[in-house]
Amino acid sequence: MPFVGEILKHRSVSIVGLAKNAGKTECLNYIIKRLPLDYFNVAVTSIGIDGETTDQVTGTAKPEITVREGMFFATSEKHFRQKRPLSELYAVSDEDTALGRVVTAKALQEGKVLLSGPSSASALKRWMRSLTDFGIDLILIDGALSRLSTASPAVSEAMVLSTGAAYSANIRELVNKTAFVVELIRLPLYLGPDPGIRVSSFSAVEVGDLKGNLVIEVEGALTDRLLQKVRQGMGEEEVELVVGDFTKVFCSQELYRAFVRRGGRVSVRMKSELLAVCVNPVAPNGIVLDSDILCRELSQRIGLPVYDIVKNEYEI
Amino acid sequence: MKFREIVESPCGIRYLFDELGLQSGYARKVLLDWEMMTDADRIDAAYATLRGFYDLVLTDRRRVEDMRFRLQGLRDISGTLTSLAEGAVLDEIEFFEIKHMAMLAESLAMGKELDTVIGILDPDGLKIGTFYLYDSYSVELRNLRAAVEMDPDDSVLQEQLANEEDRLKKVISDKLRPFARGLLQTLQDMAELDISLAMAVQMHAEGLAIPTSGTETTIVGMFHPGVRAILKAKGRSFQPVDFSFRRGEPATVIGANMGGKTVALKTLCMLQYLYQFGFALPVESAVMTPFDAIRFCIGDEQSEKTGLSSFAAEMQRIDQAVAVVEQGGRVLLLVDEPARTTNPVEGTALVAALLELLADRPNLALVMTTHYTVEHGGQCWRVQGLLPGTKGRTMDYRLVKTTSHEVPHEALNIARELGIDPRWIELADTIMKRHYE
Repeated sequence: MPFVGEILKHRSVSIVGLAKNAGKTECLNYIIKRLPLDYFNVAVTSIGIDGETTDQVTGTAKPEITVREGMFFATSEKHFRQKRPLSELYAVSDEDTALGRVVTAKALQEGKVLLSGPSSASALKRWMRSLTDFGIDLILIDGALSRLSTASPAVSEAMVLSTGAAYSANIRELVNKTAFVVELIRLPLYLGPDPGIRVSSFSAVEVGDLKGNLVIEVEGALTDRLLQKVRQGMGEEEVELVVGDFTKVFCSQELYRAFVRRGGRVSVRMKSELLAVCVNPVAPNGIVLDSDILCRELSQRIGLPVYDIVKNEYEI
Repeated sequence: MKFREIVESPCGIRYLFDELGLQSGYARKVLLDWEMMTDADRIDAAYATLRGFYDLVLTDRRRVEDMRFRLQGLRDISGTLTSLAEGAVLDEIEFFEIKHMAMLAESLAMGKELDTVIGILDPDGLKIGTFYLYDSYSVELRNLRAAVEMDPDDSVLQEQLANEEDRLKKVISDKLRPFARGLLQTLQDMAELDISLAMAVQMHAEGLAIPTSGTETTIVGMFHPGVRAILKAKGRSFQPVDFSFRRGEPATVIGANMGGKTVALKTLCMLQYLYQFGFALPVESAVMTPFDAIRFCIGDEQSEKTGLSSFAAEMQRIDQAVAVVEQGGRVLLLVDEPARTTNPVEGTALVAALLELLADRPNLALVMTTHYTVEHGGQCWRVQGLLPGTKGRTMDYRLVKTTSHEVPHEALNIARELGIDPRWIELADTIMKRHYE
């Protein structure tokens, strides 16, 4: 039963897919199936709903999550009314989403639910805080497509990454792109004194302003444009950029590599713990990658175990 | 006039609204829908209620905070309750909301017949705030659920179960329906409680006072809470100001630049709104009198947005206010430095004409600040001004009644205190003396 033990050591874990159909839902269901609910109160929710509409486009199965008896879940009023096992209502939020208010309930029997919880990172945090009354030990968050922000350490303590053929159909490229994300997740914590200079991609940064600064704090997103400016302002000395957390890094791999080659470094104020990487070798368009090669190559590259949970059906 | 229409008034009432500390979004919505009171008896009754809550804040703060904490759970379910009253069949989410609300009201000792309502939604007597269609609602429900659990793929059983659940929803809705109107009232009462508690707590925190109602306005020690907060952040304090006015006797306020005339006028406007919505006032004490309409004319950035020059926007605003006066009723008209953006010759004429036009109106109370010297039959107030013989920027902001309507010539002194280039100021002084000779 790989990595489920690791999950139980944390109070909140995001499951994040690098692309739609990267196997995130299978991954979440895999985890839920193996949780020791007898002595653990678990709540699950998802952020946003863009995943569902994409599924209607590609025609693959809707992301349904199977909740087990005794689990708490949060979803929109609309989805709660559509489908759920017998559930006891615990709370209805004050905040409206596109699908109505967020409903928190406890499943009284096992069954499938459509998950669509709080729709922003801040609403998610408020919901997580509201759960303290119900004695929840672990919160699982289904991070929707292109919403890495839910994996921010400001929201959840740890994360599981799912990637697959849907992200890229070429093993080398898939490994390469995934490894870059993993590298960002593992950016080192900044422990030095407060940097003298702060920049943001909105402020007009002049190349000259950056000269002579060895540590630069980046407010908000680290974009290509900003990184380019910093690179131009760099002299011979090594420059360290400090960002909030890895979800704030939006620059391209090429530019990032060029920056690092010139002696640059990026560190973070808050760090998320990456618990595992799961792969789905099947793409929605029918392409199937060799699961064993994919797991091996990616694992070698990132130095972490990589799991194909569908193929390997790890024991419960 | 609703509270939402005055919340953005340039008088700055927004500050007290933002600082009010309401516990629920619903109370905020209810407050914004409050209608301005124009009857002194109703206002006094509202103040009697507020005084009761204020006493509670002083004597039993713990109970107040306990109630406020509970009120965080207040949700706007007026839509659900209204549709229930009108005959709708509700679902589990709506039953949950009603149960939650009824238990909240019970914990606050509000509402009537809540035992019965909660009993309908808590058939097992569990006394917890959660809800689902409990097995004990019918034997049929329990049996069908057991059967479906044994055979989850039997679509006939599933449909029977769904039908039984629908039937029970109707039964429960019918049982709840007679209580819907009462629950709506209780919901409203809880929002009002949230507002009253917030007002009483704010009254204590900001040092506000409850006024009495009379036939004319007499204010002792008024301050502007928003301006006071800004000054406090800079380590300075707000000097309280006294003022009085009455209907039928226009009042002008003259005085030095930076003497606080505009702030005084904003405070007067805010006090009037607060009084007519039953809030405690930022004063030491006050006698207030209600008006049917309150008009505050002050220059703002709005004119830039509409493309009008500041003069044009101001003239239109005053013209509209005068039209309200013409309609009759008790009107409070507060005008900040009319015609200040035009030349002093025409400006003085416009101000004098406005005062003459609005003279001898027993139902109008007019307070106007101005830099122009205009004689009129009403009261004239003057900012005490720069304290004589003091170094540095020391201003006495108090307002005093004066018989001379001649505006004080203090601009140059103030400019000197500000440290403006002396070449400029002394030259101006020379030119002014030459002019007067």
